[in-house]
Amino acid sequence: MQQTKLLSEHYDKPEFQNLDGYKKHGGYAVLAKALKMDPKAIIEEVKASGLRGRGGAGFPTGTKWSFLPANGEPRYLLCNADEGEPGTFKDRLMMERAPHQLIEGMIISAFAIGSKKSYIYIRGEYDYSIACVRKAIDEAYKAGLLGKNILGSGFDHDMDVYAGAGAYICGEETGMISSIEGLKGQPKLKPPFPAVQGYLRKPTIVNNVETLAAVKYIIRDGAAAYRKYGTEKSPGTKLFSVSGNVTKPGNIEVPLGISLKDMIEMCGGLKPGRKLKAVIPGGSSAPVLTADEAMKATMDYECLAQMGSMLGSGAVIIIDDSNSMVDLLDVIMHFYHHESCGQCTPCREGTGWLSKIVHRILKGDGEPKDIDLIKKVSEQMMGKTICALSDAAAMPAISFVTKFRGEFEQHLQKARTTSGGVAHA
Amino acid sequence: MPKLKINGKDVEVPAGATIIQAYKASGQDICHYCWHPGLSVAGVCRLCMVQVEGIPKLQIACNTEAKDGMVVNNNSEMVKETVKWGLDFHLINHPLDCPICDQAGECGLQDQYMQFGAYDPEMAEQKVKKSKVVDLGPTVVLDSERCILCSRCTRFCDEVTKTSELGIFNRGDHSEIGIVEGKPLNNNYTLNTVDICPVGALTSKDFRFRQRVWYLKEADSICPGCSTGCNVKVHYNEEGLWRVKPRVNPDVNGHWMCDVGRNTYKYVNIKNRLLAGKVGRRDSWMEMSPNDATRTAGMRLKDVVDKHGPESVALVLTGQYTNEEYKDLLVYFVTGLKLKNIFHWVNNPEKLNDFDGLLFRGDRNPNTKGLEAALKLAGSKGRWEDLQAGLNGKKIKAVVVAGPEDQSVYPDMNEKVALFAQADNLVWFTACPSDALNGSGAETWQIPVKTHAEKAGTFTNFQGKEQKFPLATTIVPQALTLSEAAEVLAGKELNWALRPKSLGGAKNNYATTERGAL
Repeated sequence: MQQTKLLSEHYDKPEFQNLDGYKKHGGYAVLAKALKMDPKAIIEEVKASGLRGRGGAGFPTGTKWSFLPANGEPRYLLCNADEGEPGTFKDRLMMERAPHQLIEGMIISAFAIGSKKSYIYIRGEYDYSIACVRKAIDEAYKAGLLGKNILGSGFDHDMDVYAGAGAYICGEETGMISSIEGLKGQPKLKPPFPAVQGYLRKPTIVNNVETLAAVKYIIRDGAAAYRKYGTEKSPGTKLFSVSGNVTKPGNIEVPLGISLKDMIEMCGGLKPGRKLKAVIPGGSSAPVLTADEAMKATMDYECLAQMGSMLGSGAVIIIDDSNSMVDLLDVIMHFYHHESCGQCTPCREGTGWLSKIVHRILKGDGEPKDIDLIKKVSEQMMGKTICALSDAAAMPAISFVTKFRGEFEQHLQKARTTSGGVAHA
Repeated sequence: MPKLKINGKDVEVPAGATIIQAYKASGQDICHYCWHPGLSVAGVCRLCMVQVEGIPKLQIACNTEAKDGMVVNNNSEMVKETVKWGLDFHLINHPLDCPICDQAGECGLQDQYMQFGAYDPEMAEQKVKKSKVVDLGPTVVLDSERCILCSRCTRFCDEVTKTSELGIFNRGDHSEIGIVEGKPLNNNYTLNTVDICPVGALTSKDFRFRQRVWYLKEADSICPGCSTGCNVKVHYNEEGLWRVKPRVNPDVNGHWMCDVGRNTYKYVNIKNRLLAGKVGRRDSWMEMSPNDATRTAGMRLKDVVDKHGPESVALVLTGQYTNEEYKDLLVYFVTGLKLKNIFHWVNNPEKLNDFDGLLFRGDRNPNTKGLEAALKLAGSKGRWEDLQAGLNGKKIKAVVVAGPEDQSVYPDMNEKVALFAQADNLVWFTACPSDALNGSGAETWQIPVKTHAEKAGTFTNFQGKEQKFPLATTIVPQALTLSEAAEVLAGKELNWALRPKSLGGAKNNYATTERGAL
């Protein structure tokens, strides 16, 4: 099966990074078209395309935009390029290979929602992405594509890069807003929602890199053309970051709705002699799928939701039988313990507690009641906090110990018969 | 005005109110730590969970607006289980040092655990270790392990004092309250952070390790520290007063009081007090009961008036006594002795109208307004120049002074003692006399009187608001109120059987000594 390269069509051409090269491939022509449209028509087009947020939550983008108050209050567009979900690396590719594609998509989106100022919040570790996007913004300013009276349309727009400092929680939209405001990167209490009171208490729209880039193609080809890709409820193409035990890991662009089995094959399949054990389909916070479930799964929002997992940011982590699920859960729990911002008590205390229990099991000091305790603690962490980090820690914990209970129990038995740690297969 | 059902009970709340306010209004219990009526909503402790009919997920009551027709409960099994676990999350890293914790007995965590928790703990892991003694500033100490990160203290410093000394450093379960190096928690309202701390994380250097709170009694009172008249509670036992805490009054002080006001318990205690009447001059003093001292002073004053007329006696009053006392004293002096020379001693008049924008005022007398009203009623036209001239010209033979209780706010004390001692006779009613008085050349009566905590009465604050307060305790039972003094001066006998007795055992109260380091 071949990739369907809509957004990533020219990613293999180094010239696509620069303004001239980008323009050669039709760059900024869509912007010129959009600036002649009625902003409301752009929003309607995006609504009609059924585009869903590519950052993780999958919320319909056009609907999100329409939550903005209709008055003339200043509003902000923020691009979420914090890309912190373990397993995800698609935004990085997009910013490094095609920064102008993002900028063009952002100006169109900003025009649609009437925003005069936008920020691209890029995670601090992405040095090269930050440099690429900064350079591209400079080029765009010089070419009159940003600033006052863009392309003679009368529309003004300023854009800036804001570099994060490496906190996962700043990928949560209100955490990101706090960070841009110069505060500690902690999510804000909702309501009020960002569309009503966001950055500097003004209406704010936060969209993912891929979402904003996709807007360009929706305006270029029209909603109907975009809907030709993907499924009824998950239209369009999506970039997936496939990692783990496949022979050719990396980013691929495919229509939503392809089978996970095909996706694994597109990435060269498993290493010889290995058997599929599990797949995490949407980044480390997505509940894990067993090999059986994975073989039945299609990669779209509705199928994965039905299976009790989620598409998330499109980070597909393939796990073969050389891995211990206890070991993996320990890594995941350590991550969420380390990244909890510490505001809400269930998350602050629960992530640490889970991490300690799983680590104890891994070290061979587990007790039979620990498995149920992990489930009980996780259940009490879900839906109880300001943001979803608590759920993001609880969901893998519950799915791991439920679906691979045998492996955890085996670990406990080994723990009682051996004195030291447990050797993995 | 939205009407809603809270645990089956109908409640009506003002528009815009939250569900937690509806709970408070309906008088029903709801578990919470981070919410405080005087601060913004943080929504982080996640304990005030309620079930709202029609909403599948549990909601936090502090950030959910109460709407008309809502049906809310927090007594379903689902909510109870959530709150129980919420408490467990608070406690898994909380140290079990309740026996040596200053908050024990008035701890939100203890109380709410008894009410909503009471489960078998399942946490078997090593607790997170944090600093046990963090010096935040001159008044407050932090124990980071006890802290449940409710952020009340940081919000207080951000929103009320707007000084933002406190912040939460680090993240996750390693978060700690702290200050930026070199910028200690040092404003006039620091001890409010100790009050609002629901656990024993923030403790007052002045109070910690001095008393077990369950042995203390409390009584309503009014702070005598300045003309704001913050509503307070004094905490005391048989040894005396140990601390002052604010009492909510939205019209006067809201939820807070200043650190200066919190120190007003100190001069009330026995170590600083005049216990017996002292009569004599310079180095020759004779002790006698306050009653006898007052009676002999009254006889002397009558003699002076008989011999030299009422112009020869001056009465000097400070704004530190109650309206009732002013009335009784003035009745005796104005109608009894026909006195016209009545003066209002104003301490540092240039600072009188100072105000820090929150609570603390430059007029360091609790009852200036009350005294002014009493003097007006008595027709006093006493001008300070007349007093000075009368004393210099030896026309004034006797001066009677009432106050102040708190010497520290009268910077002109020594100067005034020297001035009044120019008269032949000086009668001085005070709870804590100035040392300068012992060098008085006039024939002097030092007569102990009761402090604000030892009598019932009324102070009129700067707004003109009359605030009644009850008698809290009796520390120096033999001391007189000015009302009693007026009776004794007039030659009447007091009804000793009706006078309040001491709680007994008024020993040396360590709370009067200054404390240094931690």
